[in-house]
Amino acid sequence: MADYVFQKEKIEELLGGMAKNYEVHAPLLNAGIVRFGKVEEGGPALAKLDDYSNSSVPPKELLFPQTETLFRYRLGTGGIEPKVPDAGAKVAVFGIRPCDAQAFAIVDKLFGWDYPDPYFQNRRKSTVLIGLACSSPCSTCFCTSLGGGPTNDEYLDVAMYDLGNEIYLKTVTEKGDELCKSISDLLEEASPSHLEACQNQSKEAASKIRRSIDTNGIPEKLPALYDNPFWEQFSDRCLGCGICTYLCPTCHCFDIQDEVEVFDGRRARMWDTCMFEEYTRHASGHNPRPTRKERTRNRVSHKYSYFPTNFGVIACVGCGRCIKYCPVNIDIIDILEKSIAVEVKEAG
Amino acid sequence: MVDQGELRQKAKEVISREDVRRLIGWKRGTYGFEAAPAVIKDPSEADELVFDPTCVQNPASFVTLEEKPPLPRGVEPDLRKVGVFAKGCDSRALIQQMVEQAYERDHIVVIGIPCRGVIDHRKAEKLFGDVTPDLVEISGDKVVIEIGGEKREVAREDVLMAKCLRCRYPNPLISDVLVGGEVEKFADDDFSDVDEFEKKSPAEKWEFWEKEFSKCIRCYSCRNVCPMCYCPECVVTRLKPQWTRRSVDLSENTSYHIERSWHLAGRCIECMECERVCPMDIPIMTLNRKLTRDVKELFSYEPGTDVEASPLLTSYNPQDPEEYIM
Amino acid sequence: MMDESNPYLPYEVEIKETWYETPGERAIKTFKVDFVDSSVWDTWSHKPGQCAMVGRLGVGESMFCISSSPTEEGYLRFSVMKMGKVTRALHQLEVGDTMTVRGPLGNWFPVNEWEGKRIVTIGGGIGQAPLRPVINYVRANRAKYEDLTVLYGSRTSADLCFQEELECLISEEETTCHLSVDVEEESWEHYVGFVPNLLMDVSPSPENAIAVTCGPPVMIKFVTQNLVKLGFEPEQIYTTLENRMKCGIGKCGRCNVGHLYVCKHGPVFSYAQIKDIPEAFA
Repeated sequence: MADYVFQKEKIEELLGGMAKNYEVHAPLLNAGIVRFGKVEEGGPALAKLDDYSNSSVPPKELLFPQTETLFRYRLGTGGIEPKVPDAGAKVAVFGIRPCDAQAFAIVDKLFGWDYPDPYFQNRRKSTVLIGLACSSPCSTCFCTSLGGGPTNDEYLDVAMYDLGNEIYLKTVTEKGDELCKSISDLLEEASPSHLEACQNQSKEAASKIRRSIDTNGIPEKLPALYDNPFWEQFSDRCLGCGICTYLCPTCHCFDIQDEVEVFDGRRARMWDTCMFEEYTRHASGHNPRPTRKERTRNRVSHKYSYFPTNFGVIACVGCGRCIKYCPVNIDIIDILEKSIAVEVKEAG
Repeated sequence: MVDQGELRQKAKEVISREDVRRLIGWKRGTYGFEAAPAVIKDPSEADELVFDPTCVQNPASFVTLEEKPPLPRGVEPDLRKVGVFAKGCDSRALIQQMVEQAYERDHIVVIGIPCRGVIDHRKAEKLFGDVTPDLVEISGDKVVIEIGGEKREVAREDVLMAKCLRCRYPNPLISDVLVGGEVEKFADDDFSDVDEFEKKSPAEKWEFWEKEFSKCIRCYSCRNVCPMCYCPECVVTRLKPQWTRRSVDLSENTSYHIERSWHLAGRCIECMECERVCPMDIPIMTLNRKLTRDVKELFSYEPGTDVEASPLLTSYNPQDPEEYIM
Repeated sequence: MMDESNPYLPYEVEIKETWYETPGERAIKTFKVDFVDSSVWDTWSHKPGQCAMVGRLGVGESMFCISSSPTEEGYLRFSVMKMGKVTRALHQLEVGDTMTVRGPLGNWFPVNEWEGKRIVTIGGGIGQAPLRPVINYVRANRAKYEDLTVLYGSRTSADLCFQEELECLISEEETTCHLSVDVEEESWEHYVGFVPNLLMDVSPSPENAIAVTCGPPVMIKFVTQNLVKLGFEPEQIYTTLENRMKCGIGKCGRCNVGHLYVCKHGPVFSYAQIKDIPEAFA
């Protein structure tokens, strides 16, 4: 694999070069917030790399859009026209953080088991991840507790390090190599001093992570807390909104709805959340998770117990968005720490 | 500065009462510029309660947020009272909930708490970064913030929420117990923010809202946090019949936000919680403020200020102006 | 089999026959359907207990058990209780109309492993629907199984599904059938009382037996308790669960009980699998 550098001021030029062969998505500044989107002339401006810690909505929305047509149909005449994205398209995601890339590797397992999901998987196949290492993590970041780190390149195709005036670029996979070759005329050769600067940055960034959780034993412990009043200390103040799940890079739940304009219809899927009351409500009105206590329990247990039981990995990358954006300070680290401390009576 | 000892003592007295089953206040958050809402059920928990300018959340929201699932046969519902801390703005929410008969006055025990303003975490983070202050207090017309042992004094407008800068009701309008002494009102509301927005042309306004609404992810945090949004089933998420689609696009998002603000006409008590919680930074209060002013100017009505009042939309007066009818 | 390349695409089916099983506000209507594209039959195969998403374009789909046994050829059967948006729309359909079927989904009753055993089914109300394919499968392969005992009850006699077949079950020699209604009614000749009590009244022996139960959650709970009292081991007791579903393939998230997705790991579970997962009984 190869390494390169480019001048930070030439970033637009670089993206322009990439756009010749790829559809380029990058963090954009959109009415005050940073969110990934397609880089387009006349569209929202590119977010300054040193200005944002991470996008508010995770880039999962690029592979798993909030609303997505599954197929179209015309009422009365039958016939179903699938709308599956092309696996052969070339999409580059520029500036994704290591945690959000790790999240893709986690949801890959779910979208791949049994009946593979062609919508997610085709986009995944067509996407090249050009990650940007974090040099100043947020106060809510805890990626180092979940096998990741601010400069972890394991789940990227290309890893970038912001070295001030220059960006250091390292290809991690063949896909990444191919992309870099396609823009090689815009890249310069890297020197050993660049590599050294990166290594220093990695050490420094990891030391800036302020929060952590020891996940040992949590997947086994949570089911034992099923009936425990422990959950109420968090669910009592839960608003039951969708922030923690919609902004979670590993949350993948969805609803499917039919929408019809006169005769033209579509079946679409859209993000859903286990924090909404209607999510599990039966048509009869019975709800197996009738209050926010059961719903809070499900959210945390799903990430830290059910998902690892099914897939062998915790469905959390420590990006801290659920903590940062929760309006009532429901802090998953706090929940997990307290879950370890709760004493459970042996069933007898 | 409110005496935390007095606050905890009074909270303890309220939650110790046999006819009170829970008490809603604030406790320290785990990080950042905001406290966490606290729901306590036992006097021993009263020691974690606090009040300072980080106590932004409106406890009135949690009175109506409480879910009451069907009880097993033979189990009697616990009908005892709910204790609730209330700043001036929070007390308006409680009043409006009662005006709408969400519950009776004797359902709640109000611990009133005069307030000099609360922190806008967006302003504070811009000024101080992603940090957790050791102390935040208001001293005269300054806000004192201590971070990492270093004290800094900033002007009120630099870190307080917009509602506090025009607050006419810093003292709770109702209370059963009062913590601390009353404070003087800070300003009058001249609706200059609405004037400013109305200078835009219709096309500019449309462009503005298109940009803002297109950001919405429909997490419904603005609805859920609103002390006035307490319908058991919201018209927006209803499936039978379905008025607003679940798909998230400009059209449905616009429909949602307009429905939301219109349902608050004559009911919004301007606690700004909707705007505070929005993860997409949508200036939701801009819509509410316009309706608030119209309601005030056309009907001389200010919601949440009088327990004896009737809800605006249920009271008809033949002299009502008709400018509002399109 | 389902379209492997895109599990969200349904098949269109035509209604060949339809009738009401029970009357009332929550009426149950049965549909016998055939694929519009008859070549689907070449790859279709389902097992007793499996489900399918049944729906109507323009409205949506819901999960239903396939209430016909694979031994009934040339059609699929679904029995639908009028309850929500999708089921109301399905109830409006008549012979000749099309609906959609996506499946078969989920696991099935391990009827092959049960060969040589005595089979007891305990159903309540619409819960008889997933038991019907088991009963008919056993009847079609009668020599492979020992006794077949069918226990079935509902609120009133009008709420019993599959009435014609019940008469068959009562009259045929190879099957024992016990019916019940919750409250006394005129000219009712069978048991009066709740299904769990009927079970105790009949007291089937656990010896070399498999008990399969489906019905309202509270019924399943008490039937299971009573089966344990009768000496059935958790491994001898099977049930099917239901929850709100959207994808049917273990992705959309909502149907989980603990770590198990009802649509994927189920809907059929042995009591041994779920006895320690309280959410299965929520």
